[in-house]
Amino acid sequence: MKPAVTIPRRSEVVRNHRQAGGAIAAVLPIHYPRALLRAFGFLPVEVWGPPQVDTSYGAAHLQPYVCSVVRNGLSFLRSGGLDVADLLVVPHACDALQGLGSILLDFIRPRQPVLPLYLPRGRRESDLDFLAEEFRAASQRLSEITGRVPSEAELLACIVREEEADRLLAELHRRRTELPMSDLAFYRLVRSREYLPAERFAGLAEEALAQAGDPRADGVPILLSGILPEPMALFEALEEMGGQVVADDLACCGRRLYPPGSDPDPFRRMAQRILNGPPDPTRGSPIEERLAHLLRLAEQSGARGAVFYDVKFCEPELFDLPDLRRELTKAGLPSVAIETDLNDPLSHQTLTRLEAFLEMVEGARGKGQEV
Amino acid sequence: MGLPAAWRYHWNVDLLGRAALRVNRWLAQRRGDAGWNSQVLAPPLRVSAWNKELIARHYLAGRYANGYRKVAWVTSGAPVELLKALDFYVLYPENHAALCGAGRVVVEIASEAEDAGFSRDLCSYARTDIGTVLSGKTPVGRLPRPDLLMACTNICQTVLYWYRVLAHHFRIPLILIDTPFIYTEATDHAIAYVRRQLEEAVEVAEEVAGKPLRMERLREVGRLSQRASELWMEIMERCRHRPSPISVFDQFIQMAPVVEMRGEPETVDFYAAMLREVDERIARGIGVVKEEKRRLLWDNLPIWYRLRYLAEFLGQHGAAIVASTYTNAWGELARMIDPDRPFESMARTYMHPILNRGTGEKLALMRRMVEEYKLDGVILHSDRSCKPYSIGQIDQRDRLIREVGVPALLLEADHNDPRAFSEEQVATRLSAFLEVLGLA
Repeated sequence: MKPAVTIPRRSEVVRNHRQAGGAIAAVLPIHYPRALLRAFGFLPVEVWGPPQVDTSYGAAHLQPYVCSVVRNGLSFLRSGGLDVADLLVVPHACDALQGLGSILLDFIRPRQPVLPLYLPRGRRESDLDFLAEEFRAASQRLSEITGRVPSEAELLACIVREEEADRLLAELHRRRTELPMSDLAFYRLVRSREYLPAERFAGLAEEALAQAGDPRADGVPILLSGILPEPMALFEALEEMGGQVVADDLACCGRRLYPPGSDPDPFRRMAQRILNGPPDPTRGSPIEERLAHLLRLAEQSGARGAVFYDVKFCEPELFDLPDLRRELTKAGLPSVAIETDLNDPLSHQTLTRLEAFLEMVEGARGKGQEV
Repeated sequence: MGLPAAWRYHWNVDLLGRAALRVNRWLAQRRGDAGWNSQVLAPPLRVSAWNKELIARHYLAGRYANGYRKVAWVTSGAPVELLKALDFYVLYPENHAALCGAGRVVVEIASEAEDAGFSRDLCSYARTDIGTVLSGKTPVGRLPRPDLLMACTNICQTVLYWYRVLAHHFRIPLILIDTPFIYTEATDHAIAYVRRQLEEAVEVAEEVAGKPLRMERLREVGRLSQRASELWMEIMERCRHRPSPISVFDQFIQMAPVVEMRGEPETVDFYAAMLREVDERIARGIGVVKEEKRRLLWDNLPIWYRLRYLAEFLGQHGAAIVASTYTNAWGELARMIDPDRPFESMARTYMHPILNRGTGEKLALMRRMVEEYKLDGVILHSDRSCKPYSIGQIDQRDRLIREVGVPALLLEADHNDPRAFSEEQVATRLSAFLEVLGLA
């Protein structure tokens, strides 16, 4: 299946943005206010690993039991992969990212300024107020770094632009089976949100949505949960085995379908958007909420099985797994849990387990079994 | 509260239990067997028997608490004063897990959690606790079912994931006190956020307790907490004396009351007695290691299942570990507690444990301790189960060697899971380290 849209390469986007006089913010996972960075002229370019880097750079600072998303991110930075960035943003998603932010500030001290962001672990009014203040403090720090002070109207314009891009992103997710593209092409498109400016992403999304047709049912429909789908060859492998990803609960994708905000204050509006996003263990969502969300996703998409595709050592994911899997099984949605490291290729063992799972789902027809 | 439950509680805990445990303590003190008897170490502290009695009575009270007192399970860094003031029986799953670790029953209990799908890469305290919840297995007889959970993120985010599992299992309220990590300085909005959560927690806790919080009682609990922490700090500071009267292994063993019985009068009495005994040792020239030649710092949690092995291995070479960033954490914040302004001071205090501060702050603390305790080397326990404590240690070690000029060793293990401990490797690494210290 041909890609329905042409997605610009990350390096090309970064180069063009810099040539146009813009600055680059390298952003670690998971949640952060894109609009705030754009208001200060930074293009956020996300760093999810990346996979397959020389991890010896990271190993000089981190123990082997730190997950590969963090280890690779640090390795990438130390090997010069982020030299193009003018700012490093480290949102606080977990203990490992907390540690990374801290050693960057205290010991590694990269050339670029480091901006840590703390994200509250609840959805209470106090969490909203705190996060809005945290963004206000980040804004002050960005002013110090750039010497710019964007007006409230400028910030709001950036927020509206991001909200439109996120609306289209959600639409892509919702209508994914209507799009004339493989799962791999779909995830290349939605993951381009990790580095494309909102307005360019919106254009691509509209182009893709304009090609929507009848829903396709190419294989055993599954729900993909976890942090990130790397290596992306996973999608080709699933497709070859007769699987089709019809919904996801991935930290880099489906957990960031932020609804629009409504607060007139731009900082509260940005905070509101993140806190009102889909349930996420790194934001402290209760297991019940995650379970209800997964069941809703499965029902809406017709998924008949769930694949938990997690990065080794990822505590927020691993703690929830037993309860989620047990209760999904009770609800008739079988699941399989796979642990991976960003530096590993798709192992034969993983492929065999996925194949067996798809065969079981196909055979079980919704009876509900754990694999 | 049911009358039979109250009767059962008073009979078993306040009458029979108290008397039996007191006799037991008296006998242990007479025999002098409440601790390790070793050729290379000083005899065990006499207060060890009292400590054992306190811990045993604490778990005995827990065993009979349901139906008589409301029970809260809390994280070790939680603002327990609020719950104590509302008369909750407070259980610390981390302490219970450590007790399982010291008693070497972790593998059996954690396996129950692992069999239920909890990964072995998860914190071994959490696996031990979840294993107990799922199986009922515990060396203390029985843990009370909680009515309320309180998780404070000032020690790690792990506790939040862990307590969500507990909340889901028990279907009870979980109070979250989220303490933003301090990368450089605590911001005003972060302190205001923590304070507000503490104030909001009162309503939930009062509802579960079925009674209102009395401010005078909260202040009283705060004063007792502060006093116990001050005494604990004084005891640790006595280790600046050469030879050191106690080691961090004594501190690890004797720290249980300041963690899980903070806010109680007997905890203050206990540490006052311990301080007297430590002073007596200093006056009599007793060192914890019979021939103290080198003094060391320990970073990170203890290795609960190998305390004695490590104490004797080092002790026989004349090395005494006399200070620890971990035990220090339970005393260093005492000065921040202001019982007359409970919410504001709790917000500040509970934001500032070492684990909620940057990696550079921990290095600064270690530098200070090396200087103040006149230390010759540092052992950094790289603890698989505690990422927030361990991340940063590689850089901290390098700087201790390069900038402070002390030998430093990174020792790979796990605080509670013996399957992550290789005695052969540890012995080899420790021997090499002792050689660097000139002790081989």
